[in-house]
Amino acid sequence: MEQDLSYQLAFGTYEDALRMVGAASEPRTAAAAVSGARIQLFAAMVHDGNRSYWDAEYARRRWGGLLAPPALLMGWLIPPPWQPDGTPRPAGLVLRIPLPGTTFINAANDVEFLEPIVEGDLLTVVEELVSVSPEKTTRLGVGHFVQTLETFRRQDGTVVARNRNTLFRFTPATAS
Amino acid sequence: MTGEDLDWNEIDVPVELPEVIDEITYQRVVENAGATWDYFPGHFDPAYAQSQGNPTIYVNTMHLAGFADRVATDWAGPGSRVVRRSLRLASSVYAGDTMIGRGRAVAKRCDTSVEPPRYLVDIQIEVSNQHGQLCCPVELTLQLPG
Repeated sequence: MEQDLSYQLAFGTYEDALRMVGAASEPRTAAAAVSGARIQLFAAMVHDGNRSYWDAEYARRRWGGLLAPPALLMGWLIPPPWQPDGTPRPAGLVLRIPLPGTTFINAANDVEFLEPIVEGDLLTVVEELVSVSPEKTTRLGVGHFVQTLETFRRQDGTVVARNRNTLFRFTPATAS
Repeated sequence: MTGEDLDWNEIDVPVELPEVIDEITYQRVVENAGATWDYFPGHFDPAYAQSQGNPTIYVNTMHLAGFADRVATDWAGPGSRVVRRSLRLASSVYAGDTMIGRGRAVAKRCDTSVEPPRYLVDIQIEVSNQHGQLCCPVELTLQLPG
């Protein structure tokens, strides 16, 4: 099966990972501005009829444009699944942390939305590695919890959101 | 702001929010990858999800967050906005599951440290599946029109 480059993980030891704590990525800008089409595709997926996502005139008066669903925050910075120049999709910092685990699953997410994000905004993110836990065993397998902090800015430099995410980077317990 | 929005002054806490129920078909999980561009294979490839120890594909964090936000803003109205959300992924929601969202507004406060003051409501939401298993506990703060 063709495996997506962006999910190719870096491998190493816990000690290798600890050496990266405090590291921050270069700022990365979204491939495209926040758009009504993606706002509504997401709202349709969630079955959310909130007028702020659907009624352009209402949203313009209330927010200055269609409101980006807060839950889609991380999605704006995921590169499109294919690009014409063939450049590999850049892997997020969290996937470049050297650890033994062969896969990952998300564990927790804590976001502050400081300002509304609206149609037309172009977001830039900086990711920092906050912490890597010692080895833990869960029902899924053995691995490490990796906490990152993403700071999102819009085109005028204003910080619009801070996203703390924890994922579990693990090797599955032996499959039956 | 509009008649659709709750008036912060008239909210008595604690108060239960209307329950929201949503059936998560395979199509919905695949829509999720398309809408969020999150093509991690656990969200569209059942064989990969099984290799991780899951029975099948599962929704991503953005979908769970969007469902929690919907529970909150369906109640408060479109003039409200999520200003903070903290969630924990206790158990996955798989294709074929039903998500049940139950919310409770537990506190309201006026943040006067900023100008103009912010009118806030703190909400606790539990997203469970059809087996009654808690999948995603959420703490969320809404800002209401002042």
